[in-house]
Amino acid sequence: MANVTIDGVAYEVQDGRTILQALDDLGLLMNGVDVPHYCWHPKLSIDGSCRLCQVEVKGQPKLQIACNTVVANGMEITTANERVQKAREGVMELLLVNHPLDCPICDQAGECKLQDYAYEYGLTHARTKEPRRPLAKRAELGPTILLDQERCILCRRCVRFTREISKTSELCVASRGDRSTIETFPGAPLDNDYSMNVADICPVGALTTKDFRFKIRVWFLDEKPGVCTGCANGCNIHLGVANNQVYRYVPRRNDAVNDTWMCDEGRMSHKRIGAADRVREPMLRSAGGGLASAKLDAAIAAAAAKLRAATSGGAGVVAALGSAHATNEDLFVLRRFCEALGTETLGVAVPSGRADELLIKAEKAANAAGARALGFKDAQVVADRLRAGAVRALIVLGDDALAVLGGEAALAKLECVILLATHHSPLERAAHVVFPARVAAEKLGTLTNHAGRVQRVRPAVEPAFEAYAEGEILARLGQALGLPGFAPGQRYDARDVSKLLGEAVPAFAGCDVDAVGDEGRPLAGAGAR
Amino acid sequence: MALSAPYVTNYLTQHFADDAFGQVDGYVARGGYEAARKAITRMAPDEVANLVKDAGLQGRGGAGFVAGLKWTFMPKGADKPKYLVCNADESEPGSFKDRILMERGPHQLLEGILIAAWATGAEKTFLYIRGEYAFAAQQLERAIGEAYSRGYLGSRVMGTALSHDVVLVRGAGAYICGEETGLLESLEGKKGQPRKKPPFPAQYGAFGMPTTVNNVETFSHVPHIIRNGKEWFRSLGTEKSPGTTIFGVSGHVVRPGLYELPLGTKLDEIVFEHAGGVPDGKRVKGVIPGGMSMPILPAGQLDVPMANEFLRERKSMLGTGGIMVMDETTCMVRVGCVISYFFRDESCGQCTQCREGTGWMNKILNRIERGAGTREDLDVLLDVAGKLEGATICAFSDAAAWPVQGLLRHFREDFEAHVREQKCPFPASFEL
Repeated sequence: MANVTIDGVAYEVQDGRTILQALDDLGLLMNGVDVPHYCWHPKLSIDGSCRLCQVEVKGQPKLQIACNTVVANGMEITTANERVQKAREGVMELLLVNHPLDCPICDQAGECKLQDYAYEYGLTHARTKEPRRPLAKRAELGPTILLDQERCILCRRCVRFTREISKTSELCVASRGDRSTIETFPGAPLDNDYSMNVADICPVGALTTKDFRFKIRVWFLDEKPGVCTGCANGCNIHLGVANNQVYRYVPRRNDAVNDTWMCDEGRMSHKRIGAADRVREPMLRSAGGGLASAKLDAAIAAAAAKLRAATSGGAGVVAALGSAHATNEDLFVLRRFCEALGTETLGVAVPSGRADELLIKAEKAANAAGARALGFKDAQVVADRLRAGAVRALIVLGDDALAVLGGEAALAKLECVILLATHHSPLERAAHVVFPARVAAEKLGTLTNHAGRVQRVRPAVEPAFEAYAEGEILARLGQALGLPGFAPGQRYDARDVSKLLGEAVPAFAGCDVDAVGDEGRPLAGAGAR
Repeated sequence: MALSAPYVTNYLTQHFADDAFGQVDGYVARGGYEAARKAITRMAPDEVANLVKDAGLQGRGGAGFVAGLKWTFMPKGADKPKYLVCNADESEPGSFKDRILMERGPHQLLEGILIAAWATGAEKTFLYIRGEYAFAAQQLERAIGEAYSRGYLGSRVMGTALSHDVVLVRGAGAYICGEETGLLESLEGKKGQPRKKPPFPAQYGAFGMPTTVNNVETFSHVPHIIRNGKEWFRSLGTEKSPGTTIFGVSGHVVRPGLYELPLGTKLDEIVFEHAGGVPDGKRVKGVIPGGMSMPILPAGQLDVPMANEFLRERKSMLGTGGIMVMDETTCMVRVGCVISYFFRDESCGQCTQCREGTGWMNKILNRIERGAGTREDLDVLLDVAGKLEGATICAFSDAAAWPVQGLLRHFREDFEAHVREQKCPFPASFEL
């Protein structure tokens, strides 16, 4: 460890770290100690080219760049004085020599580091009389990203990202001097599983995603912390919300989960929230055979009646298939519900797909590990019981389990199929009662990622239609059935369920929605991966 | 006949008129490779490095860092291969001395490299030569082949414990590839952009290995120092800047060319006596003393000894010793336009100040020359130049700033005349 003073305050920092890294480690960077920077990024190699992060190091005649100056014992660092301010002003003035003054029509306005630092450290007027360099305003780098070359300040974060993180190396700096531009190579567009991250790390309005570009002014967005539900990695995100609508996901830094990145597929999964195929109301199988919309109470009553009838001959005829998309709380309620019904056939369907070594996990659901920690077995146990003809009633959470259950034919003979689904699916054709379920962005709860980290989701938007957390639907159903543990008249509260889960299931001790915070916590006994 | 007798004050170039000197036989006949033999067989590596350090040989590539001292930065031990790089990218406008050293004295250079290899423990030298130097590259290639065939290169050099390879690499023509870490990047097949420091090349150089980079002329001095000793070397030149150097004189002079003279020779002596002064009876207006990146000196300040300790007093530097002479008809704003265009064009574009500042200065200067300048522009120019100084990864931005500062320091009247008259008061001699 090295003892340094930064602006007169003593800190103990790790040896071998640069000044910016040490400030980042201390959580002080731009959060108490302002050292503005463009090219430096905590998860990319050091570039040292933007020259904005200059600080004064006692004993050094020249200002030093904080990004590449390694701390040493006894080092005295000054991040703010007239000399430093002058240097920053100088860099800012030069960065603006060729930067267009098109903030009013720039999508980055409002979250632009050039804007921010120009206000903070820049001059109040431009001394340049020369025309700015004309370059491509709408260069298509690939299927997801557009580049405005005029706005680019050549920090090269995007270039380093494709070399060091996505390891695809599509981007380069072409030409040199003030003619430099970010380019792709001929015939090799920016097209990889993580391409959209370059828009996040672009400090200016040069790189924008086709998806979010011009959708809304960012200052209208409420950036709500959440978790991506695209796969078992559970990348931490901010949901950009306005008008009760999610406009985008952007990664939220969590060094234990996703650093500062997320995959494009996960990012685009925000479209699932407001998708046209959401289940928007409870539905009941009518006498004519079709599904007809119903009031919630009627649907609960109908489901309760069906379940009661199916189980009149005795317990053991109910099977339940949980969803790996549901929260730990929802699944815990399902488990309690099944225990009360005396059913032991509890499975979970986990959709699977492609994986990589960076973030993308093969399990394409956010809470498969949570389901397993709660005792849910592979969906095959449910399919086996169905095939054996031992099941009369089936409760299914989710919309992607038909194949694993054996198709429609396997469900055709059942007396009671109750479906709790966020999106429409062929499963509905076999269902007697369908309940509209909420997605993670619409409810409070926790999700357990592949490494056993329990992470919180909170309601970022309120569905514009009727939808309920699966736990709430099951709780009401339990109340209607008079099941033990489902006290009549009690209001469903996900926070209470979360606390109860922590008390009842040892693995979840200390992992309730409040305790995990925005950073998450490993399940008791989970490796610290 | 000895390669350099103690009384000779042009030891680098004394045999250059003799074609045989460029061939291995002719070189050996004139005492060539004896210094290398002496160093390798009779001196310890440290002893060689210390001798060169004590002789006070300053790097001749522009920065003037003491060569022997640079060698001692190389790590001891052999856990990693160590490399030398010979910087033959001579790209400073006004500088053309390394070219002649390679074309006429390739074995002198190779012998210097061999001695440095012994001193630093380097197993290989990358000789990085600018692409435009086709003839020099040809001569070197031939000389390297000769040296291998005679056992001066390869394994067990001259039957000694030293093994050394020299690889000739031709550059693709960028000024910045003469900056030592820009050169290393280019050598590795990457875009020529200087590396941030630390780490320095002695820790992390070519292909990540400990590396020392020296200029062609620097290496070429080394055999003479080994042969004649440090006292001899120090008897030439000034106390702080020993030895000779090759001044390249160009511009408005009667006899442009290369002149090997002791450091400390006065600039006016070089311009007026050796190079014959300004032709057509015109008067000299200004002289750039050390290659285009060095600040210009006005006619009244040419009585300066050509060595850094004296040039610094006049806010300039020796640089590469490329002397550019301009007569009284020269428009100094136009000079600024040409110089700033060069640096704008050659800036690698990594660092903000250099990328944006070189272009901005060039645009302002062009505007002043066109007759659309204001008095405020002159202050802005100086201010921008000040922002470039010492603020970036490499010294390129200093090189871009100093000439502008020098021109405004000594020829502000030219600039003010442009602003006042809103046109260039000089006859146009060439298009911008």
